[in-house]
Amino acid sequence: MLKYILKKLLIMLFTLWIIITLTFVLMVSVPGSPFNSESSSNEIVQQNLEKHYNLDKPMHIQYLLYLKSVVTFDFGPSIKQPNQTVNDLLGRGFPISAELGIVTIIVALISGITLGILAALRHNRIIDYAAMAIAVLGISIPNFILATLLIQQLSVNWGIFPVATWKSWSHMVLPVLALATGPMAIIARLTRSTMLEVLTQDYIKMARAKGLAPWKIIVKHALRNALMPVVTIMGTLFVGIMTGSFVIEQIFAIPGMGKYFVESINHRDFPVIMGTTVFYSSFLIIMLFLVDIAYGILDPRIKVNNKEGD
Amino acid sequence: MKKLLYLLLAGCIVFFLAACTASEDAGEDTGTENEVEAEEGETDSTESESATDGKVLRINNGTEPTSLDPSIGFDAVSWDPLNNLMEGLTRLDTEHQAGPGAAESWDVSEDGLTYTFHLREDANWSNGDPVVAADFEHAWKYMLDPETASPAAFLAYFIEGAEAYNSGEGSVDDVKVTAVDEKTLEVVLEAPTGFFLDLLTNPAFFPINHKVAEENPDWHAEANTFVGNGPFKLDSWNHDEEMVLVKNEHYWDADAVKLDQVHIAMINDSNTQYQMFEAGELDTASIPAELSDQLIDGDNVFIGPYGGLEFFRFNIEMEPFQNKKIRQAFSHAINRDDIAEFVVKNGVEPAYGFINPGYTSPTGEDFREANGDLVSFDPEKAKQLLEEGMAEEGYDELPPITLTYNTSDTNKAVAEAIHGMFKEHLDVEVKLENLEWNVFAEAQQALELQFSRSSFINDYNDPVNFLESFVTDSYMNRTGFSSPEYDELISKGKTEVDEEKRWEYLYEAEKMLADEMIATPLRYYNTVVLEAEGVEGILRHPVGYFDLKYADKN
Repeated sequence: MLKYILKKLLIMLFTLWIIITLTFVLMVSVPGSPFNSESSSNEIVQQNLEKHYNLDKPMHIQYLLYLKSVVTFDFGPSIKQPNQTVNDLLGRGFPISAELGIVTIIVALISGITLGILAALRHNRIIDYAAMAIAVLGISIPNFILATLLIQQLSVNWGIFPVATWKSWSHMVLPVLALATGPMAIIARLTRSTMLEVLTQDYIKMARAKGLAPWKIIVKHALRNALMPVVTIMGTLFVGIMTGSFVIEQIFAIPGMGKYFVESINHRDFPVIMGTTVFYSSFLIIMLFLVDIAYGILDPRIKVNNKEGD
Repeated sequence: MKKLLYLLLAGCIVFFLAACTASEDAGEDTGTENEVEAEEGETDSTESESATDGKVLRINNGTEPTSLDPSIGFDAVSWDPLNNLMEGLTRLDTEHQAGPGAAESWDVSEDGLTYTFHLREDANWSNGDPVVAADFEHAWKYMLDPETASPAAFLAYFIEGAEAYNSGEGSVDDVKVTAVDEKTLEVVLEAPTGFFLDLLTNPAFFPINHKVAEENPDWHAEANTFVGNGPFKLDSWNHDEEMVLVKNEHYWDADAVKLDQVHIAMINDSNTQYQMFEAGELDTASIPAELSDQLIDGDNVFIGPYGGLEFFRFNIEMEPFQNKKIRQAFSHAINRDDIAEFVVKNGVEPAYGFINPGYTSPTGEDFREANGDLVSFDPEKAKQLLEEGMAEEGYDELPPITLTYNTSDTNKAVAEAIHGMFKEHLDVEVKLENLEWNVFAEAQQALELQFSRSSFINDYNDPVNFLESFVTDSYMNRTGFSSPEYDELISKGKTEVDEEKRWEYLYEAEKMLADEMIATPLRYYNTVVLEAEGVEGILRHPVGYFDLKYADKN
């Protein structure tokens, strides 16, 4: 196990290095500079700016400076917001995105699994159809449309929740709803189909025959196996929510990380591009790693050691 | 089985409750990292809901200001808050003219070179310190320091020794800004500059409390260290979320300030900020493009001029635009009325000259009216000019032309409309190309684009600001245009002491620009704002930034 983790860690570092290098190459080969703005300017001012941010240095020096900033995890000040370091931005934005992401995942998991189980237990009956109708709607309505609908109905027309910004729990309801519906639908469908499959298995019949209470069969025997595919997609789903919440953060004016991730590229804000890329890629890699480990715990049949051959 | 369903339902409720608690915990977790700010934020929101707070105005800044360091924040999102938190020597008055600000009065030497400013005795910083001349000297020299890398530094090149210092060749001691005594500031200019007092209203020229700045160079980064000298002071600042400004009791004209608090939100999405306005969470908002037709005629809409021009540049180093007649032909083929009314909408005015209305000449006329219409829509003439131009160049067929714009919905619509006009009136099929802003800006700067969209937003209240762009080798030129005659006109238009004569040179220069047809004007910018009932007195200057000093909310 330890050997496996060590090896995995080394591969993770190597992957990171490749990502950093690729990002750097892409960044410098895209035309444009962070100092193109619609305001007036002149040559002296442009030179001073480039000097200030080390952009006048030769490429290999800039690359080494970037590597150094990654190793020390100190990306320096943002160019677009020079009073803020990249670490400030990440330190401020990430907890908010994480909060939104975690609450969303919890809501999606609970409602998704519940819907899935209900649908499976009432296979081909009203509840099943209703649950699956909700799921199909959830998958097919993009979250930004849902967000706008929710704002218009619940905030502007009915005045139940505030329109936007991020101040109290009531501000959280609409963005979480908008963001959770998609993943909830995916989880519900997955749970339903695997649950249906599991419920026909012999060991469930056996359990029934033994006269176990129905809820015990579901929770202890069926659910554990039915959840495997859900766990499989959790890693990517979580990262997807965390990184993909940009539009929702934009609509609800939530000061999370998504904005920096997207806008830094438009602004050619090199330190922020570098910082967010390194941060997100490490995050993604670690999440996938955790999912690998979680497999082993949930399903003893999968031994992490066996994966060494991969 | 029924039992099981109930159980599941119950479980679901328990889980849901757990999720709610979890989320509250999570909220506290993030709060501890920035405890002071979070606490302030919470008390603010509860306070403001009660009526005890007095008059609270809620506006939107769109995004986080680039910087509240007056030398660094060189854009509208920084200028708007800064203009209400600080004050320069002069301040734009209700007539949009430069009037006394932190300076009570000033003397100008006869040659127009030396300005002596007398600061108000009662001008104070928000921490109680008096505003002294050394604060201005410090701020301007800091802006000009090449190490500071201020994007606004070039605005100060009118001051003697400034350009040399900023380019790294001169010394700070040769910059002719001197604090003669506590309340007297002397500035010597490179050449007479008729609009110097206007220039000083730009936030780049705001003072910096030098005692505070020497102690803490990052004084401008957070609310608790920020020190200003304007009508409002910064009470709290949750980055990327909201700033709260409160009335500054140390301001010399505090009696004129009616609002008690200003909440400045940072909401980037135009639909969201409109919905917040609808729900009463914001007092002013912009109109989302898709709702323009419905809302523009409403009673609660403020439409005012905004100092800026949208235009297209010809690249005179690329065929076929080396030919003046061909350039003129293309300009004559554009129907600007239609573009303003049916394409851009939102109440914008078509531009028949380069300088937007709103600049008053020494004789009291408006620059635009005095200089008249310089371009026109005339399909017949366009066709004729094109034929003549093609004959001059010996073209049987016009070389292919590409019109390039930076990617945006409005720009695309405008480009398509122009494409249709060229097709209809000149029988020329131009190719349309859109580029992401940064790529576009780079290519335009490098003279790689044939015919490209441009915009200009004024930095200060004088026509020379725009006209100067087209002098030889200017960073803003981007057309390949170079004319000693034009350069001469601009140089006189900047330095002539006799204001009337100076304006004559500027009229001349604008006419020449239109005749040479280096760029073709399209439309002027404007300000369109929804204002909630009871909001009044917000000064929206055509050039620059809005002023809440006299704003009120009933």
